[in-house]
Amino acid sequence: MARVPEAHYQRRSIAAIVVYVAIVMLARTPAREATNLPLQLLLALLPVAPMIYVIWLLARRIWTSDELEQRTHLVGLGVATGVVAVVSLIGGFLAAGKLMSLEGAASFLLFIFPLLLLIYTATRAWVARRYGIDTLCENDGVPLYQKFGVGALLMTGVAIWSYAKGIDAFGLGVVAGMAGALAAGALAFGVRRWRSRRNARAAP
Amino acid sequence: MINRVRELRGDHAWSQADLAERLDVSRQTVNAIETGKYDPSLPLAFRIAKLFRQPIESIFEPGRIDS
Repeated sequence: MARVPEAHYQRRSIAAIVVYVAIVMLARTPAREATNLPLQLLLALLPVAPMIYVIWLLARRIWTSDELEQRTHLVGLGVATGVVAVVSLIGGFLAAGKLMSLEGAASFLLFIFPLLLLIYTATRAWVARRYGIDTLCENDGVPLYQKFGVGALLMTGVAIWSYAKGIDAFGLGVVAGMAGALAAGALAFGVRRWRSRRNARAAP
Repeated sequence: MINRVRELRGDHAWSQADLAERLDVSRQTVNAIETGKYDPSLPLAFRIAKLFRQPIESIFEPGRIDS
């Protein structure tokens, strides 16, 4: 199987995440209000589809990676799996001990996969640095400021939607805070890219 | 391990990306091998030797071996 170009993987992952967020926002209320059980099941599980696509993209990317890349993926996934296992156990036992409501436990579960991806990405970047590899390299894949920009737009959309739907102040604050943090990240990485390009042009 | 990959690549006037494509690895992996930060597996070392038409021991030499 041919190697998967980084940009190809990243563009499709970002598109899948945009679709995921859109489905979560649009299908949540109809899923709760549907009276037909198969339709309710379909609407409730619809957000899983783009995430399965992301997992398939990731699996394909790892499968077609070279030996050094596979090593960094393995360490990243290993550490992420370990952390997620511990967090899941904590959540499970808190719910079993009635220290957390079932709805809270369900919300907790929704954050498991994003947490896994976050820890995997951070650990892989850390391991790769030992080999002189910058996984945040601006030359490979979608530029960071664009990724953060898309994230900021998505979270802004979710915040507006949450406000319109009258979601509680805490939830709205979390989403708006995430949108602001992502926008700040987009700005910081945009400035970094602009400065590095300006320095490269100025170099003899 | 010490290697002559950068020198041999230079002799062929290939960029890291050119060599990476010929070896079916990433450019960053080529860079890690050249800078001695990563020692390739035996199959990859043989691929490198075959590509440069040199015996493997003339490209890769053991560095300091810690006891």
